[in-house]
Amino acid sequence: MEEILTRLYNMTALSDLIADPSYLVMYCIAFVLLYLGIVKHYEPLLLIPIAFGVLIANFPGGDMGVLQATETGTVIKNGKEYNIWDMSLPAIAHDLGLMNFLYYMLIKTGFLPPVIFMGVGALTDFGPMLRNLRLAIFGAAAQCGIFLVLICSVMMGFTLKEAASLGIIGGADGPTAIFTTIKLAPHLLGPIAIAAYSYMALVPVIIPMVVKIFCTKKELMINMKEQDKLYPNKTEFKNMRTLKIIFPIAVTTIVAIFVPTAVSLIGMLMFGNLLKEIGSDTSRLFDTVSNSIMNTATVFLGLCVGATMTSQAFLNWTTIGIVIGGFLAFALSITAGIFMVKFVNLFSKKKINPLIGATGLSAVPMASRVCNDIATKYDPKNHVLNYCMSSNISGVIGSAVAAGVLISFLQFA
Amino acid sequence: MENLPEAFKLLVVGMLTVFCILLIVIYFGKLLIALVNKYAPEEVAKPAKAALKATPSAAVDQQTMSIIQAAVNQLTGGKGKVSKVEKV
Repeated sequence: MEEILTRLYNMTALSDLIADPSYLVMYCIAFVLLYLGIVKHYEPLLLIPIAFGVLIANFPGGDMGVLQATETGTVIKNGKEYNIWDMSLPAIAHDLGLMNFLYYMLIKTGFLPPVIFMGVGALTDFGPMLRNLRLAIFGAAAQCGIFLVLICSVMMGFTLKEAASLGIIGGADGPTAIFTTIKLAPHLLGPIAIAAYSYMALVPVIIPMVVKIFCTKKELMINMKEQDKLYPNKTEFKNMRTLKIIFPIAVTTIVAIFVPTAVSLIGMLMFGNLLKEIGSDTSRLFDTVSNSIMNTATVFLGLCVGATMTSQAFLNWTTIGIVIGGFLAFALSITAGIFMVKFVNLFSKKKINPLIGATGLSAVPMASRVCNDIATKYDPKNHVLNYCMSSNISGVIGSAVAAGVLISFLQFA
Repeated sequence: MENLPEAFKLLVVGMLTVFCILLIVIYFGKLLIALVNKYAPEEVAKPAKAALKATPSAAVDQQTMSIIQAAVNQLTGGKGKVSKVEKV
């Protein structure tokens, strides 16, 4: 009888939980993330799969946690060493569990980030950017955080490749962060993906915090529509539809020529957008890309990223450094965008609301929504969404270009 | 720490590249707008007017007709025509 009870006790996760209470910390993190997603509605489509991934990855014996490979590809499970690069996918599924199979097949291969970019492109409207092209330059300024954190990380002792992967979190673009990390520092993929996606989901908290520090009430009340009336835009659009069809083709060509390493991201983004803009002829493809494929990719990406957050991988100083560095990168990117607007306002008669600089980091369209909420809080008639979308969308292009530069300079260094 | 000069180099090169590419995108966008305005201006008004004549009862006003025509144009890729609009 006692033997049966002992075996039953060992069968449950209780014995492991008592032996290693760090799992409880991870449950708390999962519950907080679930709370933020379900109750506070912080990017629920992203945060809920991630949070649930964290939860299911941390049940001892459940085999749902992603095992992080070292630089040489070694993973250790139950004391046994495996070389992940020598294993076939069925062997990974059999020996390391279902979640490792999904992770190594969909994420580690770099498959999902471009697929997600294709979906993002299909859901993006370049109209606001084309209508306010001059605001698109703030999407470049907001990439500053990436490179500043790269420098800070090097000073903290990270290698150049690791520092670049850490800095790219400041691009506020999950797929770009994953793509760059796969190329430069694959052993840090777990914590970097978690930091990038968590901060993207926490944009409604981070942007207002930075804006409150660096912007005055007077600046936040700059009404862009009134500025447009005072200093009207002379550009007229006689055929927006044709323009929107040519634009993704042209941007892909330009970026492909100058920064070929960014093509897998920008190319897929623009392909998705082209399917949308062509209209009825490609409506079936657009529907598939923007719904079925995008949703499927988001579910698997969220779960897999969450499952990388096991107590062993997360509760160590490297990860904590990445989480802090990631936050710094995010905050610096927003700050750089804000200060670029302030700088332009010094010389321009037509004033720009600094919130448009804050949206220069990607996180489309949440950053724009958040900034619009901030603007309407100060002046209910001041809707800046369309203007913010311009720098927000150019931020996606900017972060992909920054990633391309980092990859081409460091990949074979 | 020995990588610090390289990190600063990446800051300068990276930011310059991002600014240059986005400036190129912006000015190329402006060029595209000018070219499209010149060589492919949209012709919405004509079919809308023609279609309006085909509705003797004038059941819909010109603005509504233009909107319907624009929607049909978008859905059919410019191939479709509105010949009659009736209130049911």
